Amino acid sequence: MNKAQRRAFDIAVWALLLTMPYWMGAIGGYTELATRIVVMGLAAMSLNFLLGFTGVLSFGHAAYFGLGAYGTAMAIKYLAQGTLLSMAAGIVIATIAAAIIGALIVRRRGVYFAMVTIAFGQVFYFIAFRWNVVTGGDDGLTGWHRMPIDLGLANLDIFGNDKAFYYFALVIFAICVAIMAMLLNSPFGRTLLAIRENERRARFLGIPIERHIWLSFVISCLFVSVAGTLYALLNNFTDPRALRFDLSGNFVIMAVLGGMRFFWGPLIGAAIFVALQDYISSHTENWMSAIGLVFVLVVLFFPRGVLGILRGRSAE
Amino acid sequence: MTLLQVRNASRHFGSLIAVDDVSLTVEPGELRAIIGPNGAGKTTFFNLISGFFKPTSGAILFDGEDIGALTCEQRVQRGMARTFQVTEIFPELSVADNLRIAAEVAAGLRMKIWLGGAIRREIDARVDELLSMGNLTDKKDKLVGALSHGDQRAAEILMALALRPRLLMLDEPTAGMGDQETYDIARLIRRLHKQERLSVLLIEHDMRVVFNLADRITVLAQGRVLAEGTPDEIARSETVQAAYLGKAAA
Amino acid sequence: MTQLILYSVFNGLIVGAFYALMALGLSLILNLSGVINFAHGGFLAIGAYLAYTLIPVIGFWGALVLAPIVTAMIGLAVERAMIRPLYGRDPLYGLLLTFGLAYIIEDGTRFFWGAQSVPFQVPGWLTSPLSNQFFFLTGYRLFMIVIVAIAVGGLFFVLTYTRLGMRIRAGTHDLDTVSTLGVNVGLLRNLNFGIGIYIAGLAGVLAAGLLGLSPTMGASLLMPSFVAIIVGGLGSLLGTLLGGLLIGLASGLTAVFFPSATEAVIYVMMGLVLLVRPRGLLGEEGRMH
Repeated sequence: MNKAQRRAFDIAVWALLLTMPYWMGAIGGYTELATRIVVMGLAAMSLNFLLGFTGVLSFGHAAYFGLGAYGTAMAIKYLAQGTLLSMAAGIVIATIAAAIIGALIVRRRGVYFAMVTIAFGQVFYFIAFRWNVVTGGDDGLTGWHRMPIDLGLANLDIFGNDKAFYYFALVIFAICVAIMAMLLNSPFGRTLLAIRENERRARFLGIPIERHIWLSFVISCLFVSVAGTLYALLNNFTDPRALRFDLSGNFVIMAVLGGMRFFWGPLIGAAIFVALQDYISSHTENWMSAIGLVFVLVVLFFPRGVLGILRGRSAE
Repeated sequence: MTLLQVRNASRHFGSLIAVDDVSLTVEPGELRAIIGPNGAGKTTFFNLISGFFKPTSGAILFDGEDIGALTCEQRVQRGMARTFQVTEIFPELSVADNLRIAAEVAAGLRMKIWLGGAIRREIDARVDELLSMGNLTDKKDKLVGALSHGDQRAAEILMALALRPRLLMLDEPTAGMGDQETYDIARLIRRLHKQERLSVLLIEHDMRVVFNLADRITVLAQGRVLAEGTPDEIARSETVQAAYLGKAAA
Repeated sequence: MTQLILYSVFNGLIVGAFYALMALGLSLILNLSGVINFAHGGFLAIGAYLAYTLIPVIGFWGALVLAPIVTAMIGLAVERAMIRPLYGRDPLYGLLLTFGLAYIIEDGTRFFWGAQSVPFQVPGWLTSPLSNQFFFLTGYRLFMIVIVAIAVGGLFFVLTYTRLGMRIRAGTHDLDTVSTLGVNVGLLRNLNFGIGIYIAGLAGVLAAGLLGLSPTMGASLLMPSFVAIIVGGLGSLLGTLLGGLLIGLASGLTAVFFPSATEAVIYVMMGLVLLVRPRGLLGEEGRMH
């Protein structure tokens, strides 16, 4: 894909995103579904910063997604903070956790690293589960909702208006995605690519591998926590499932399904996954098997993902 | 000041003595070749110098500094760059990007998230310079994993060169190459040695390359230094011939 | 007080025995094939449900023998069809595949046997307590420990004294050399996987007697098995065994004295191990890369 093609693709993606609430209905969707796609898309793209671009597999990203969600929910419910401040609370908590845990595990690699990320994710799941007084336990944290944002000049009613919240989420998404793109196109971002391509060679160019992987991990968790805050706001609710490892697995499959070597791949994967999940679960009780089947089929037959297949075709 | 000084370095793996009391010096501007039969411990010796593990005993001094406690990255940052027996490059990136990453790290930019136009042009110029040194300018946008073996090796050497190293360590650069590729690589190494005045430590099996390029040669066998000297001296040495022909060393 | 402590220690050991059994199967597969078998819990459930279905037909002892074998056969088929194509690829794909399998298996058991927990018929004489003072020492619990001990002993025997076992151990260290010696590596992996799944199926039958059956029974044992491997050390089966027993013990004691931290305590132990001795209690250096 040369530069012009990439530009065109970017424009197409943004055009679709900007207008999604309007054409969603026409294909059987609804605004909230569109927002969910944006939120999950951000989560998957954040995970892919680490997975597809640094070459490090984390299977525990839901922990930081959930921490963002719970942080926001608790800030709104217990501290009566506004939306933006509550989001900040969730993001800060999750990022600090990521920084500490990342430092503990960064010397491991491959399968072992993945196992440890899963295990750490579970710690937070159990805390949320058990600490019912604060977190609402298995029932989740209810009794709060997102507040309209007072921008001084105008009031953004993100609570009452679904479309308003969609565009709010889209703005947050755009900021995060722009920062990620800038990072990946910088010398620092190229060191991450180097680590993905060949860790030994990267080390022997003088790149301190562990430190750069730690940074990539923290950045990735920071953005996934932003997605988590949006998720809590979207549902006016959060529960321990936002922390569970099956959600982590879903993030990974979204990235792989869309194409983890591509910047927009995870967004595409998230769109397909979220839409599919929504459609299947409204038609049958056995949606779990269907999701499981998606995992198996993607791994066996479409490992390069949708964009990988499309690019392969266009190269011929 | 001696650039690299290895003093009585040994490396044991349990009861296996891979490197046994080896001493060696490399002066600035020298091209030193290390030769020896298979299993002589040459690559292990390289790994010792470049920081894969610490010596079981002995010391390694680079520019007078004891580098025994330094990590691999730190040794690279001190000015030691190396290539590997199996070419280590970034296969799914273009040749230009491979060199760009090396050049950026060398220029201290590895943590930069934004590059001003002036610095970017400097890096571009450096990449172009390196590409022309290895005759890879017309292949610069190709994925380096898709290049021929010889071109990949050249790219790897250029990446090491991008770091502006004081000492260039090459582990069997002509392994698996035909005559033409061997000639091209040897010519590249000679150019780097003479024109860029790089100090080079070279492991090689191809004697034509060794005897053409080396200022001095060290012969290793069974982890020990068997002989050391100029190409002429080594060519005439009976102990060396015996080692290569398999008779017990005198 | 001593009753309470003994009770919690005993309970902890039982739980630990399960964790260890699960973790051993998981570890076996991980060491040789580099695959984290997320579906391991699912195979445990399959073993349990198969036993449940077989008991009316061939009785408890028949089910105890047959269910793990059938489960292992299913495992062999799955490995051949779905996991073998993934060797040599990024470990990511093995994880994703077994993850998806876990979903399918859980949903499948729900489909065939219903979402509710079902009771499991254990021979009556096993469930009565053996001692008036130590009420928790039921025959079944002792029986379970005996079976687990036999299974673990059997596993170590197979690995140490049979040709298959030696090839597995050799393959764990250096698969390339093993293959150049003429061993069929694909078959070796396949059988190794089968052994791991057999153990999972056996654990399922035993767990059913203790916990009853539900489609999610495997998932709750899977995570602690991971922790057991991390605590015990990657690459060491003895370490995994020890790790399982240790975290079971810790969790048993915590359940009695500090119940809300029961699950979290094993993760705290994991965190400690990672801080203080990252390679695990008996792990080998350099196994982490």
